[in-house]
Amino acid sequence: MATVKEMPDESAFASTISALPPSTLLVIYFHAPWAAPCKQMSTVLSALASTYPADAPLSFLSLNAEELPEISEQYDVTAVPYIVLQKDGRTLETVSGSDAAKVRAAVEKYAGTGSGDATKSSLPPLQAVTKPPQNAANGANGSANGTKNLAAYAPSASDPKTAPEYTSSEPASKEELFKRLGELVKAAPVMLFMKGTPSAPQCGFSRQTVSLLREKGVRYGFFNILADDEVRQGLKEFADWPTFPQLWVGGELVGGLDIVKEEFENDDEFLKDYVVKGGPAAAAT
Amino acid sequence: MSQSLTPMEDAMRAKLTESLNPTTLEIINDSHLHSHHKAMAGVTSKETHFRVIITSPAFQSKPLLARQRMVNTLLKEELAQEGGIHALQLKTRTPEEEDRMKAKEAEQ
Repeated sequence: MATVKEMPDESAFASTISALPPSTLLVIYFHAPWAAPCKQMSTVLSALASTYPADAPLSFLSLNAEELPEISEQYDVTAVPYIVLQKDGRTLETVSGSDAAKVRAAVEKYAGTGSGDATKSSLPPLQAVTKPPQNAANGANGSANGTKNLAAYAPSASDPKTAPEYTSSEPASKEELFKRLGELVKAAPVMLFMKGTPSAPQCGFSRQTVSLLREKGVRYGFFNILADDEVRQGLKEFADWPTFPQLWVGGELVGGLDIVKEEFENDDEFLKDYVVKGGPAAAAT
Repeated sequence: MSQSLTPMEDAMRAKLTESLNPTTLEIINDSHLHSHHKAMAGVTSKETHFRVIITSPAFQSKPLLARQRMVNTLLKEELAQEGGIHALQLKTRTPEEEDRMKAKEAEQ
């Protein structure tokens, strides 16, 4: 079965790609070790890869965006997780964020659904193993037959589409929740807690914040608070701040859109350390 | 006395004036710009989204976050209540900062 291959450096990436036929669908996944949603996405991609036979014309490549900055810049990666689907040297589609269903849909759109050889993976046996009828194009319908093999993957808190139905196994105690939030705000040097995702903001203020950060070329991690009500309410208390979006830098709350706008206006150095192009590489935690 | 049509705004004005002694206090109701948003479905209040411009010496030597926190604390109830303030845009200035801004604008 296919697996996700980690690319340790730029030359490995280059030689891997050149060794593959150009018609191979490349699923290039940018991640960062400090980004919690990336751990979920890694699991999703491994599961997705495993549904394809090893000789399928597609290849899953995983890149640590921080360690391979030139490639990250080449693909204009400003937030992780970030997935690029490429074929014949052309980018077909990009998926930003931790929406497992969206990634699955995009891969199946171009590669068809994986055939049923999932017996070797850790997923439970499929019910409909024979080639599913033409639903590869219906990628958006995550519950259609071909995608059943990923049902074993429990949606994580940061998976926007399915999280509202997700019930946690036990409700976290306040202390545990705050501990979790304490880690979450440090998940990236610059963390944006927003409504929606950078590619699909669900609120005007969140959208403006994303726009501003993109304009300044700031690299940041994000968390969709609409997908996790526990974090949404918990963070209001943890931060002592009633609204979203919230921008956190180095584990400290900077503020919302107003403050971020004003900081950029008043302070030339604001977030300069975290800029993708030209600035020094974003500090790892 | 007849019922005010803007109870939320009145409450905001009263609280902010009493505690911060502002030299400038503008409260602009933007709710109508957002009333069609999905998040506002089922909300009957016409006072959900506000922009507040406030100049007060109380903000002296306080970073932006602290200033906004002061305002948030004063409006805690209104922010917390069901159907209360959903969004609050704040411009918090000291009198000196306001003068500086005005001078800059006059130059342009």
